[in-house]
Amino acid sequence: MGWRRRGFRRRHLLHAYLFIAPVVLLFGVFRVVPAVQTLLYSVYKVELLRGRFTFVGLDNFRALLADEAFGQAMVNTLAYVAAIVPISAALGLGLAVLFDTRFRLSELFKAVYFAPMVTSTAAAAMVWWWLYNPQFGLLNVLLRLVHLPDQPWLMSSRTALTAIIIFSVWKSLGYNMIIYLAGLQAIPAQFYEAATIDGAGALARFWRISVPLLAPTTTFLLIYNGILAFQVFDQVFVLTGGGPANATNVVVLDIYRQAFERFNFGYAAAEATVLFLLILGITVVQYVYSKRFEVAY
Amino acid sequence: MRRLASLLVVFAVLALTPALATAQAKVTLWYPAGDITAGAAHFADKTLFAEFEAKHNVKVEAVGLDYDTMQQKIFAAAAGKNIGDILFVDNGWIPGFLKEEMLEPVADAKAKAWLAAVSPEIRELSDYGNGRMWGYPQYGIDVYGLTWNKEHFKEAGLDPEKPPRTWAEFREYAKKLTKRDAQGNITRVGYAIRHVGHPHGIVHKHFWALYSAGVRLVDDPLLLRGGKALINNDGGKAALKLVLDMLDVDKSTSLNFPDPRAAFLKGIASMQISETVSIKARQPKEAPDLKWGMALPPAPKAGDAPVSLLGAWVYAVPKQAKNKAAAWQLIEWLNSPEKDYELCKKYDASPRYQVNWGKEPFKSDPYNQALKDMYPAGKKLPINLGFNGVMDAVGGAIQKVWHHEAQLEAALAEADRQANKAIADAAK
Repeated sequence: MGWRRRGFRRRHLLHAYLFIAPVVLLFGVFRVVPAVQTLLYSVYKVELLRGRFTFVGLDNFRALLADEAFGQAMVNTLAYVAAIVPISAALGLGLAVLFDTRFRLSELFKAVYFAPMVTSTAAAAMVWWWLYNPQFGLLNVLLRLVHLPDQPWLMSSRTALTAIIIFSVWKSLGYNMIIYLAGLQAIPAQFYEAATIDGAGALARFWRISVPLLAPTTTFLLIYNGILAFQVFDQVFVLTGGGPANATNVVVLDIYRQAFERFNFGYAAAEATVLFLLILGITVVQYVYSKRFEVAY
Repeated sequence: MRRLASLLVVFAVLALTPALATAQAKVTLWYPAGDITAGAAHFADKTLFAEFEAKHNVKVEAVGLDYDTMQQKIFAAAAGKNIGDILFVDNGWIPGFLKEEMLEPVADAKAKAWLAAVSPEIRELSDYGNGRMWGYPQYGIDVYGLTWNKEHFKEAGLDPEKPPRTWAEFREYAKKLTKRDAQGNITRVGYAIRHVGHPHGIVHKHFWALYSAGVRLVDDPLLLRGGKALINNDGGKAALKLVLDMLDVDKSTSLNFPDPRAAFLKGIASMQISETVSIKARQPKEAPDLKWGMALPPAPKAGDAPVSLLGAWVYAVPKQAKNKAAAWQLIEWLNSPEKDYELCKKYDASPRYQVNWGKEPFKSDPYNQALKDMYPAGKKLPINLGFNGVMDAVGGAIQKVWHHEAQLEAALAEADRQANKAIADAAK
């Protein structure tokens, strides 16, 4: 009987592995292998088409430390992450609270807020490029209507990064809203009922019940949005190309330029490795720290 | 069983014979889609290759790529050994491709014959030192020039047929041409500058001032490895200060006008300096009523020689091409004297062969003759393997100074250091 059960279990496992094999294979070929290759390239001078790889040890990393353009790209990326992650999460939560109560056309409004998420970033960025146009753009027209001065938006090194952050918040807001909405709807109604009976007002219910019980959702969003924000590229590439005066140059754009415009693949790989370690470190810290705030129910 | 096998073989042979008889080689040509260059639009013309296809039994497939990511796609395709047989690329990209030894050279005898037959500016653009060629520049080459709106000139009390010749005149003209609204906001700039986007584009548009003042991106433009960037000098300071003064002192230009060509064609800029070929191609569609003039950019002072930038799109063959023989055959056909004449006449472009300049309509066409007069002032970009790094450094410095992100001296010193480092690194 035992051998029969063992045989069945073995077959069962074999089938399971066969079913997941295509995904594992594709993930390995398109994700794991390039990632390992990138880590490896970071200690080489890579001349890809010549097939020449010269071991340079940590030279690429040493050069990175002295590279002002990379330094500025890193500062810009950190500023972008520090702005976009909390802003889009907070606004997403606000919208989710709003949509948690059913009202007329609420589904339509939800769709409107979610639409940017499913729109191509490059296409949406092209539209925003025109919205930001200092002479003809809608944003300056609106500012003029309320007697505020025109802004140069993407044209000035002082306002360009803010303009990109505004675009990115608009783009990611819908996703945050939907995730928070799911989190809110998973909170049992009796908690709110009990709190109401105890005399808690709407604000108290929100701070004392919703926010703590949404901690896992918030953790997920902070990590997920943080990882995406560190990898920002498309909107910067389309809207500013990293300018003016490197004011919006971000790490992934710098990696792209080093690799595909200056053909410094080893150097670009070193930049990618630094970014990988940074994302990994921040994600681990965020995850461990957020665990403290989790509440089970 | 044996009969069945024989029947199958006969059937297979019969089925394959017509396919083999009509098998046609295919040559793919990759070019930038859109209106990035007037010459690339010609590849969308289905009849362009018809004669070649019929004569050589070769199918030509022209594939339009997005310009912004074209270099990346070309490189990735070369690494994957799945690349177009002919690349139609900006000559500014050639050094990057040479750094990776990606291109096939033009055969020595063919290069020699070409260089002997074409006009001097084409010779300059084609020759990468000692008669070495990596591709053929297309007809209708770009020469950067000052274009001005004649109506605006009249309105400002300026002679519409006389462009500014010196930097001092240029500043004066720009001041007179600038218009403001009741609140003092600039609604029309006297001169529109390119100050955003890719750093290379910014250098291209300010090359005339940098070079006429004494800046050299690389001291020997034909040096592949080594050399020196001469950026942090009096010329560099003067060239950047010219626009800085127009921004801050004269207020005749503005950072709120992103694209000089678009601003000029929309009538919100009176003067701009960029590719004249592009203005010629876009003006009939975008600003049909615009009356414009074209001349060399101004020189620092009276008696100085004006300088312009010569640029071209080049037909090149990558080493990884699958049909090299057919690719060269097509390139030579497209770049023959007969085709040069025929296509330039058809597309209203300037020819390359000296013999064709002596023929009508080019001989007496005022636009083409004006271009011909401008060509001798044109200089091509250096071919140095560190070229991309040099351009990034200079473009970054220009942006920092004009956007008041850095002091002029500090920005130039930094650009000089970065550019020379890029040259040294590429030479290793």
